[in-house]
Amino acid sequence: MDVTNDDDRPELEPPVLQGLGQAVPQVDPPLALRARVLASVGAAPPARPARSVVWPLATAASLTLAAGLGFHTSQLRTRIGDLEHDLLDARARATSAEQRAADAMQVASGARLSLAVLTAPDVARIDLAGQAPVAPRASARAFWSRSRGMVFTAADLPPLPAGRVYQLWVVTAQPAPVSAGLLTPDAQGSVNVTFATPPDIAPPVALAVTIEPAGGVLSPTGDKYLVGTVAARPA
Amino acid sequence: MWMLLAVLGSGATASPENRQADQASLARVARGDERAFAELYDRHVRLVFSLALRILQDRADAEDIVQEVFAQVWVQAARYDASRGSVAAWMLILTRSRAIDRLRARRARPEAAGDAHAAETVVDLAVPQDLELLSAEQVARLQQALKELPDAQRTALELAYYDGLTHVEVAARLAEPLGTVKTRIRQAVIKLRESLAL
Repeated sequence: MDVTNDDDRPELEPPVLQGLGQAVPQVDPPLALRARVLASVGAAPPARPARSVVWPLATAASLTLAAGLGFHTSQLRTRIGDLEHDLLDARARATSAEQRAADAMQVASGARLSLAVLTAPDVARIDLAGQAPVAPRASARAFWSRSRGMVFTAADLPPLPAGRVYQLWVVTAQPAPVSAGLLTPDAQGSVNVTFATPPDIAPPVALAVTIEPAGGVLSPTGDKYLVGTVAARPA
Repeated sequence: MWMLLAVLGSGATASPENRQADQASLARVARGDERAFAELYDRHVRLVFSLALRILQDRADAEDIVQEVFAQVWVQAARYDASRGSVAAWMLILTRSRAIDRLRARRARPEAAGDAHAAETVVDLAVPQDLELLSAEQVARLQQALKELPDAQRTALELAYYDGLTHVEVAARLAEPLGTVKTRIRQAVIKLRESLAL
């Protein structure tokens, strides 16, 4: 038994706990409560033993009624089961439709952002070259707009080992590269993503893609797979 | 059976037969047997109602607790682990826990007493190991021991058990130091335990 705790309710050992529950003055609940409780779980009142000669008839009558109610209850229960099934089904379909709509909106919004970047007056093109020996065949191209964001496409990136991810870095005049985000190529090694540009970022001088632990890192630690310098900077 | 219970004037006593009958009923309830549910109700409603009434001091509230407890028994019958303790003991734990929830809700919001708050509380199915109903004789001994407790000890214990107060709350209610209250409750529990061990 533990009554040393300061804030908790005193803990009582089981027999005492149980005893205090039983030791209260015993009071009969109202008879009407029985019907209410049994009805609340759909239970038809079972037959009580007849205690006098008057009651059997009433009992028989209530049994007939109970049998009728029982049948009705069971019908209702089946119906409720069917309706619940329909509801779950409808809900699943609604969720799936919502998901598709959200996916489509995401694609549309990505496309709108890409278009905005590509048509921005301050857009700059940055070509990235695959780095030997890790990714000699890889290539990538980025369109960067200070005002609208960055469109990044890459091809022929080598498949990622488990637990690794590609991370795109923006190299500025500042010493520390800024992470633009994580890249997950498809089976062909292609990536096509659009990033928003942080408003306070300095103009990029180069872009690089490194391989990093899943989840990404704050500053690059892994091998460089793609590197490209800014050829022309918008005024 | 019914006549016997009627004669005894109590719906529940602790005996292996009753315990087995309860577990058989509960197993049938788990399969949706409404008659078995009614049997459990008839056997234990008095115990449940009496405890709820003692805690809540209000018949309508106590009736609500009876409904909630039996609804929970109906829903959770299949998940009840019979090896952990008797069905009646489980029902008493549900009763106390729900009644105290309601009491606390009432205290927190006196104007909204008796709302549906208690129904939201999820009561753990876990029953302390080997929790059993006490025999009628043990209950009588416990009642006697309760009666013989010094008033200060009994009051502190009752506030903790029937009002669900924490040590700190009991101390505040009685305007007594926390340490004093803890000691009184501990002494009361020891005396009650001794009364059962006789």
